[in-house]
Amino acid sequence: MATFLQVAFDGLLNGLLYALVAAGLSLIWGVMDVINFAHGEFLMVAMYLSYWLGFIWKVDPLVSSVAGGAFVFILGALTYRLVISRTIGKSAMSALLATFGLSMLLKNVCLNRFSPNFRILQHTLLGGKTFNLAGIIIPLPQLVIGLVALALLYLIYLLVKKTRLGWAIQATAMDKEAAELMGINTERIYLLVFGLGGACVGIAGGLLPSYLAVHPEVGGLFSLIAFVCVAMGGFGSIPGALLASLLIGLVEAFAGFYIAPVFKYVAVFGLYLVVVMVRPRGLFGW
Amino acid sequence: MGKSFFGKCLLLVLAALLVVGTLSGVAVAEEKVIKIGTLFPLTGSVALAGQRCRAAVETAAEVINNAHPELKVPLAEKAGLLDGYKIVLIHADHQGKPDVAKSEAERLFDQEKVWTIIGCYNSACTKPASFVAELKQKVFMCGCSSSGALTERDFKYFFRMAPTDKTESLEFVEFIEYVNEKKNAGVKTVGLIYENTEFGKHAAEEGRMAAEAGGFKVVADVAFNPGATNLNSEVQTLKAANPDAVFGACLGGDYTLWVRTMKQMDWLPKVALNYCTGYQDPIITGQLGDDANYFMGGTGYAPEFAELMPAVAAVEEIYKAKTDPSVPFDSDSIQEAVALFIVAQAIEKSGSLDPTVVAETLYANEWESPLSMGGKVAFSPGGQNVKAMSMLTQLQGGEYKRIYPLDLADTEPVIPMVPWKDR
Amino acid sequence: MVTAMTLTGKRTKRDLFWLGLLALFAVIPLTPWFTRSTFAQHVMIQVLLYASMAQAWNILGGYCGQVSFGHSVFFGIGAYGTAMAVVKFGLIPWPGILAGAVIAAVVAVAISYPCFKLKGHYFAIATFAIVEIFNRLFMVWYWVGGALGLDYGFTQPGWKNFVWYQTKDCCFYGVLLLFILVFGIVRWIEKHRFGFYLRAVREGQDTAESLGVDSTRVKLSAMALSAFLAALCGAFFAQYNYRVDPPMVMSLDMSMKFVLITILGGLGTFYGPLLGAALLIPLQEYTRAYLGGIGGGVDLIIFGLLIIIVVVYQPKGIMGILDRVYVRFKRSREGGK
Repeated sequence: MATFLQVAFDGLLNGLLYALVAAGLSLIWGVMDVINFAHGEFLMVAMYLSYWLGFIWKVDPLVSSVAGGAFVFILGALTYRLVISRTIGKSAMSALLATFGLSMLLKNVCLNRFSPNFRILQHTLLGGKTFNLAGIIIPLPQLVIGLVALALLYLIYLLVKKTRLGWAIQATAMDKEAAELMGINTERIYLLVFGLGGACVGIAGGLLPSYLAVHPEVGGLFSLIAFVCVAMGGFGSIPGALLASLLIGLVEAFAGFYIAPVFKYVAVFGLYLVVVMVRPRGLFGW
Repeated sequence: MGKSFFGKCLLLVLAALLVVGTLSGVAVAEEKVIKIGTLFPLTGSVALAGQRCRAAVETAAEVINNAHPELKVPLAEKAGLLDGYKIVLIHADHQGKPDVAKSEAERLFDQEKVWTIIGCYNSACTKPASFVAELKQKVFMCGCSSSGALTERDFKYFFRMAPTDKTESLEFVEFIEYVNEKKNAGVKTVGLIYENTEFGKHAAEEGRMAAEAGGFKVVADVAFNPGATNLNSEVQTLKAANPDAVFGACLGGDYTLWVRTMKQMDWLPKVALNYCTGYQDPIITGQLGDDANYFMGGTGYAPEFAELMPAVAAVEEIYKAKTDPSVPFDSDSIQEAVALFIVAQAIEKSGSLDPTVVAETLYANEWESPLSMGGKVAFSPGGQNVKAMSMLTQLQGGEYKRIYPLDLADTEPVIPMVPWKDR
Repeated sequence: MVTAMTLTGKRTKRDLFWLGLLALFAVIPLTPWFTRSTFAQHVMIQVLLYASMAQAWNILGGYCGQVSFGHSVFFGIGAYGTAMAVVKFGLIPWPGILAGAVIAAVVAVAISYPCFKLKGHYFAIATFAIVEIFNRLFMVWYWVGGALGLDYGFTQPGWKNFVWYQTKDCCFYGVLLLFILVFGIVRWIEKHRFGFYLRAVREGQDTAESLGVDSTRVKLSAMALSAFLAALCGAFFAQYNYRVDPPMVMSLDMSMKFVLITILGGLGTFYGPLLGAALLIPLQEYTRAYLGGIGGGVDLIIFGLLIIIVVVYQPKGIMGILDRVYVRFKRSREGGK
């Protein structure tokens, strides 16, 4: 029983991490209908930033995460201005391909600049700390990331649902032309959404070095899982993405432990297929 | 619409191709040069190891090409080979992909006219690349690819310096038997954790066979996909099966994740033995700090071996200057330097640049190799270095301490490993 | 009907060009450029192979509008078909090639039947998921070699075993046959009813159905054909590289190549895949050959930048650029009159 709970808890914590990574993607996807293939590389860039801040100035990842968010906000906005904005309204595939090119570019620029070394931050505030809750071991870094994920998702949800800016975002997502007629500067909304989406993944990337090694290839699997989380939740639905991420975390943990570790991603991707077979627009999709 | 125009454009593209191709075909003829190709994963997920291997070959080339009378390694004293031949290295990148390795090997041989290739780190890439070399009857020098299958193909031009994972597995089992007897370690069960790739799978198969032959029960067989986001279920599976000893084959980032996840889950086997993996990387173990201690593994070289291999330190200085951040040799990269030294010695000795003659010379002699543990290299049919030795080490206080075989050991192993809470 | 008429009217001229192109390819091995450099031969073979792969994908992704990222699965099944025949059963590759292609088509239909329900990005992500699932299953399926992969031994070179060791001429003609087969089929489709059905489904599934086109059947047939041809390309790939393992053939990287080449060349156009491959493959091979050794991924940085630039400035691909140039050219000539 203890093992079962432990596995479940590990799964939930990982699910929250996936939710944090997926949140920005969900926002971008829902509003702009664009797959950002460089999402994992945004994560990696933020991890590097956090690592170097920690390595040179001994800044803790908890603090660096803010810098990571700000940095990737700018990176996202730049990406939108220079690349994405020129593909809007053209073929649906062009944004995807452009961001694929961008992901290749970012990955190899980091390889070139920072070498392929695996970099680990030592002596962080949270690193390696755990506490024991009635026999279940809970690692502190993952727990903090989970809490940040919940807070951040709630904030995004509030932003979209309760603020004037959020209404403008929703209007733009529903009908770009109509929104423009209503006097909404959709170009600026898109820019903001892309920046915000980047900021979310930047925060995630800023936190991760407290327990994960940084290297140029680190983003790959994360972005793939984030795609699945967002699609499974239903594009544009923040609660959907959260639910899907938690499900994926749980399935990964249970399949990994009770079937075999090699099958854990088979189970995750299989789950996605099953869900969309039953609900072709995702769990919360409309 | 306008198809004839497209036709012209197509022709233009093809013409451009032709020009590029012709340009590339122009080879600059130079006197007294032996071109040697290196083929390593310079990009992709194991790029770190590949770039270090390349630096090691560069180090060896520098020692051979220039007069280094202060170094006590063969060919260091005079500049160049034979009567004044210089080695020129041509580097190539196979990105960790076997198809790229095959086509790059062909390009190195046919276009760059290299005399031999040193490579390829990944066993999966070494296979097709050395196949190409064998077809072309060119010597292929393999430093550290560990898959035993490579030297079971009866190739005539293929030579490998490093011990195979089979040798290492047998040594692991021997060591466990020793600690059971002398230290009452009480090891009865074995668990395997490995990345599910050519390298990891092969190592695990050899580990399983060796363990079962030694009368140990394999209670956990955990394969994982490299580049994992977490290793929770993997470690949880190990913890549930609770083997006394674990054989690990986790590279780079996965190794650190594995060690840290074990710490998180507060579990350790009595004995954790690693194949040629993240364990041997001094940077990674350094970054893990105290958590890396008491793990064990097969090691072909570590800076702490200075008294066993006195000639290495001076060569290592050159290598350190070529790596960024500056690192000492590790077990893998040093074997690539050995590969170049051995093939250069064979060329010097045979006095010929005929691959067949050099290959025969390689087989016929036992070679001095101050950079190899044991100091000797000799090949059995199939190209395996039968003198290849691996030393078992244990990390204690951040240093690789020699623990087995006993005649070369300098430290008593700490068995069982110190539990996390007592550190 | 108008399009059909114009197409038929221009048929002879277009086909003449097409035949001329093939003749040009056929004599390439006789040119000194080709005979002198095996690397040039390798690049040429890669261009034709990737053009064929992209064209196979184009049937479904371009003409029918179903963008699939799952084609490396079928490519991989084809590669495994021939490798199993040669390595595991010690046969000649031909029955394996055929079996692999048929199995790939069957698997493709079985997978895509439920997936075609999905729209847009849901479909795209589903195909991603399928690649990952197949990749990981093949990694642990030890009957087909698992993570260790299948390695070819030495055999008698020649057409019977479809391997050549000393020369690449025959390899080139082998891939040229494949190229003619794939492009010929697509050329034929373009002009026949099935091609019109495909484009009708792309332009609007509902409209197509209202005109009596059974869109599911059209999509499934396109998928089966596309997978069959992709598997043939996979078989060639295995024979050419003497080795198969899951990351080599069944990976998202490989899937992206199908998509990238077609889109770069021009989605849903006949010459697009060839143009895309003729640009991308030499660029990839030559940048790697001349810059890869430096390390630090300079070749891949240039590659990534180029993709962004092409996509941003001309989303219709090279065909789009050519179209624009042609229109301007014609206009200036008419203006001159």
